[in-house]
Amino acid sequence: MQDKGTVLVNEVQGAPEHRIFRLVLKTDIARQAVPGQFVHIKVREGLDPLLRRPLSISDIDREQATITIFYRVQGQGTAWLSQIRNGDTLDLLGPLGRGFTLPQAEQELWLVAGGIGIFPLYAFALAAKRQHSRIRLYWGGENVSFLDSAGLKAWQALGIELVLTTMEGSSGEQGLITAPLVRDLNQYAQPQANLSVAACGPTAMLKAVAEICAKQQVQCEVSLEERMACGIGACLGCSCVLQNADGSLRRARVCKDGPIFDGKEVVWHELSAL
Amino acid sequence: MNSAHSRIPTTTTGLDIGADGMGAEYANTESAQVPEVDMEVNLAGLRLRNPVITASGTYGFGEDYLEYCPLEKLGGITLKGITPEPRLGNPLPRIAETPAGMLNAVGLENPGLDVFVEEILPKVKAMPTAVIANISGFALEDYVLIARRLQKESGLSAIEVNISCPNVKHGGMHFGTDPKSAEQVIAAVKQATDLPVIAKLSPNVTSIKEMAKAVVSGGADAVSLINTLLGMAIDIDKRRPLLGNTFGGLSGPAIKPVGLRMVWEVRQTVDIPIIGMGGIVRWQDAVEYMLAGASVVSIGTGNFVNPQAPIEIVEGIADYCLRNGYQRVEQIVGLAHQ
Repeated sequence: MQDKGTVLVNEVQGAPEHRIFRLVLKTDIARQAVPGQFVHIKVREGLDPLLRRPLSISDIDREQATITIFYRVQGQGTAWLSQIRNGDTLDLLGPLGRGFTLPQAEQELWLVAGGIGIFPLYAFALAAKRQHSRIRLYWGGENVSFLDSAGLKAWQALGIELVLTTMEGSSGEQGLITAPLVRDLNQYAQPQANLSVAACGPTAMLKAVAEICAKQQVQCEVSLEERMACGIGACLGCSCVLQNADGSLRRARVCKDGPIFDGKEVVWHELSAL
Repeated sequence: MNSAHSRIPTTTTGLDIGADGMGAEYANTESAQVPEVDMEVNLAGLRLRNPVITASGTYGFGEDYLEYCPLEKLGGITLKGITPEPRLGNPLPRIAETPAGMLNAVGLENPGLDVFVEEILPKVKAMPTAVIANISGFALEDYVLIARRLQKESGLSAIEVNISCPNVKHGGMHFGTDPKSAEQVIAAVKQATDLPVIAKLSPNVTSIKEMAKAVVSGGADAVSLINTLLGMAIDIDKRRPLLGNTFGGLSGPAIKPVGLRMVWEVRQTVDIPIIGMGGIVRWQDAVEYMLAGASVVSIGTGNFVNPQAPIEIVEGIADYCLRNGYQRVEQIVGLAHQ
């Protein structure tokens, strides 16, 4: 749907140097959205910047009809977005894309986040909790200050198992998040049919996680990201490459056939970032 | 804003003194026969319900925008370009935003002729708007191969021949810049199909007038212009071209002045109908194109900004005609040349 969402909250989260904002919008999109989906936002009226910005949904409140989006100010679009004030309206398209596959009850779900990849996983964690799945979060960031600003407290409040890493060791293990993930998966002698992994973060991390999971025969979903024009599947600007079972290749639209994909199918070297 | 198809009622208040001198005042509200604006246009024998269509490459195969823009509201849609063989298209990134515009280097990703004919064409008859197929090729034989499989009986309204896509290394680019080749392709396609043939012109040429004359000589029933302008962007962090294909096609409001200028020139040069496109996002842009000589306008990038743009543009054009005393939208075509 196309909807004019009203801004309820648009404020800096945590330490200003991380430039992380929390945006809460009142919109009917909340009534349909599922974890893993995104909204395509016209951050400013007029012709410049021209294109909408796709931003993942972090939290969904169906009763209040609100969605929460976390974003980091990076380029022109997010810079304009950070200027929006409470009470303003934003032209939204959404909810867009295919969301995460919900685990069954009593299944185990490991979430793997790199940096700001944590944001879309929150809605998924809440939904999985309602399914009574066992959840563990693996989250790697620059440093503890970043983790705090990006919402560590909210995750701690969920009461799920947390495995944290930071690049410079200020919290948890030092290094990449893939290290503890590999160790923990290696503890299983046999493929775990009961376990699924969902990952979001830098493309190099997603590739590493997908490869680790494939090796261990663990089901893995990844949330991809590409530059988008239309956001609804019409322009083919965001097409990634997937590999079929027989080895042949096909294109898939990150905006419509994704952003959630089976990690085994993604042809990683065809993505923008790699 | 009044809808183009609604009548604007006028009220007359009659003061009736009445035989008994009571002086009853009454309002006599009647739908006067106020001229509705006739929004129908004739495009090379095709009757379109209004002059607004959507551009190839921006509207998929007509199914992606349905929840935002019902096809019944559109004069027509132009389908994604197809090639004889399936194509995976160009490497990512394919999109870059530019000031009031964007670059795309999609590279004609499409399922190929066979899948198009078997899976997509059967749906066309049921689409409540004119459907124009768009065809591309690397050699003259490709265009003929495709055109032969696309006839009136399919339910299509026309074929748009893409001799101008700048994204593919060999993808028709030389057809679009060489008048003789352009004429040959159009003539060959005309022979192969009973559908009206629209020649889509590239702006990346020295003389758009020469190209227009060439496609007319080839027998084109209409021309559409402009396709995208060749451009690029640099990624300053990676210190490399931003697009996977290096070059891409520039579209959006930034290119409107070029599109207008070329429609103007083509209107001065040929008599066949013109579909004008390039940077139309609001109704005012569409009116500019029509005044410059386009009888139909096409919305491309504008759909990304606002999926309801075509509907708003139809209403805006109708309102403009109403306010300026034109009963038929066709009356404004080419008026700026007076």
